[in-house]
Amino acid sequence: MNSGLGILLEKMRDNWKAWRIVFFVVLALLVVLNFFVHPHHPHFGLDKHPGFWAIFGCGIGLVMVLVMKKIVQPTIGRKEDYYDRGE
Amino acid sequence: MIEASSFLHPSIGFLAFALAVPFFRGGAWRWLALVPPLLALYGIMTAEPGTYGGLHYIGETLVLGRVDKLSVVFGQVFAIIALIGMVYSIHLKDKGHYVAGSLYVAGGFGCVFAGDYVTLFLFWELMSVGSVFLVWQAGTKECVGAGFRYFMYHTVGGLFLLAGLLLRYKALGTFAFTHIDPATAHYYDWLILTGFCVNAAVVPLHAWLPDAYPRASVAGAVFMCAFTTKTAVYVLCRGFAGWEVLAIAGTIMAVFGVLYACIENNARRILSYHIVSQVGYMVAGIGIGTAMTLNGAVAHAYAHILYKGLLFMGTGCLLYATGTAKLDKLGGLAYRLPWVMVLYMIAALSISGMPIFNGFISKTMTITGAAEAHRTWLAFGMEVAAVGTFISVGIKLPYFAFWGRKREYTGELKPIPVNMYVAMAMGGFLCTLQGLYPDILYRYLPYAMEHAYHPWTTWHVLQALLLLGFSGLAFYFTRQVITPHSKLNLDFDYFYRLIGKLVMRVICWPISKVDDVWTEVYRTVGLRGLIGLGHKTAWFDRKGIDTVVDGSAYTVRNIGRAGAKVQTSRLQDYLALAVFLGLCLFGLVWYLG
Repeated sequence: MNSGLGILLEKMRDNWKAWRIVFFVVLALLVVLNFFVHPHHPHFGLDKHPGFWAIFGCGIGLVMVLVMKKIVQPTIGRKEDYYDRGE
Repeated sequence: MIEASSFLHPSIGFLAFALAVPFFRGGAWRWLALVPPLLALYGIMTAEPGTYGGLHYIGETLVLGRVDKLSVVFGQVFAIIALIGMVYSIHLKDKGHYVAGSLYVAGGFGCVFAGDYVTLFLFWELMSVGSVFLVWQAGTKECVGAGFRYFMYHTVGGLFLLAGLLLRYKALGTFAFTHIDPATAHYYDWLILTGFCVNAAVVPLHAWLPDAYPRASVAGAVFMCAFTTKTAVYVLCRGFAGWEVLAIAGTIMAVFGVLYACIENNARRILSYHIVSQVGYMVAGIGIGTAMTLNGAVAHAYAHILYKGLLFMGTGCLLYATGTAKLDKLGGLAYRLPWVMVLYMIAALSISGMPIFNGFISKTMTITGAAEAHRTWLAFGMEVAAVGTFISVGIKLPYFAFWGRKREYTGELKPIPVNMYVAMAMGGFLCTLQGLYPDILYRYLPYAMEHAYHPWTTWHVLQALLLLGFSGLAFYFTRQVITPHSKLNLDFDYFYRLIGKLVMRVICWPISKVDDVWTEVYRTVGLRGLIGLGHKTAWFDRKGIDTVVDGSAYTVRNIGRAGAKVQTSRLQDYLALAVFLGLCLFGLVWYLG
């Protein structure tokens, strides 16, 4: 049971470039769809424009990761035994 | 009596099981652990709404069984996760796990069905003690300290609750646990709210959670992630719906938890920060207080218990098999533990709000409710949190644990017992079922809404896919940056520890001064006197006492031995003894009353 699925997953991993193309194509399709499907009641106003949620998702994600990893963690990160010293 | 007319209180089975476990012999008794959750589920599904179990205690009538729509929906999911948790842990032989787990679950049920503050407080404390022992079940060096910190913190939270309910009683003359109108709230209501907020892990009172949960035992964490915070969500929903402060605090929690999860390395700590974040959605929904957001909060609590249990079961499997949950030490496990990966991903997509899975039908309800109540900024914050959730739990954690092209975990894997897979499959099945058929969850929602909420519209699906798909793209761009590092990230517990140290110093300094002086006095005055006295008594002892006392000395020594056995000087044992005595007293009151 385990080995069969495990082998399948390894094959998928070996084809990661194909999966990347699938991923990008799906993303593009979603944005295209957004031009035809609109929200009935936009929550924020701006979200009535096609592609808003795509930019929102990617933008917020980028900012979050970069700010947290590059600015916040260097500030508040300590060694793992920080609290265990002197005990 | 607890078991009045037609309501079988769900705590009874768990309490009876916890008391019986120490007397069992052999190994087959463990299957009995499945009985209390099934009994609880049966009792809740067949219960008629009403008030049951008026128990007389200290001149008050305690209501142990308030059965209405709100308590039933929470009770139901508690019973389901208790069943799943017991299946997950049934390979364990350690009786301590079953006793602690059962007491903890019994406490959770007791809180949910409590109709007054005294009952609530009693079960609240039972839950806190039970969960401390679940932390200690891990048996590691670091879990001891974590357990003590956890317990101290919850004791302080419990004292806030106790002070609030007593002062409230003094002012109003009632312990009744009902909704409190924010417009007419007094300081004692705020004390109660603070007590509740400690358990709900409201920022900045949350740091106990990411401290203790990652250090709890593999199975203990599955129980803990379901009950403590969700019991708090229940009591907030019951008592503090529509409190503006909760709407703001909840949204802050939702974002805060996500931000910390983004930089965490320990898989179970990532999940812990996501409890803070997900409970934030619920707290915000409660604070906004419309029927839709309240229902959203309840639905999200239900869905959250299922998928978060599954997430902790999945990462528990990693910890069980490899001995670590740190992402920088894992990698490439998808090929060796493929089913753990698949089941984990069901939960990860659920928490992210991916269509098909149950987060999609509960999270969107809260966000839509917030937007429809014109709380645009709160809805915005929750959408931000949704992006971060998918990046951390949906991609980062599985990417670095199960895939990861650079690093692979090459060590031995301890085989994972079948029952752990069965429990995860149960959780995964329910997460998917609820996502596909929202009505099996929605029909239990307690509040009547103006118009029904339909999650499965083309727009909702497209919006979710856009949001998650492009969050995924953000991860793709930053996959080198987000690589986990083995760091300890300072959180608010830095300040708790500071306060703790300060208190210790304030208490210890005078004591050590007195001790110094006393030692000096003793050395100069006491010692000389004592030596003189010793000579005299020695003579008296030799001549008179020896003959008389020898007989009774044996008796005293034996009593002393029994006493010494109880006094192990380990705080854990005292705590267990206190709970045991407390339960005996409670049983006595129940029997005599």
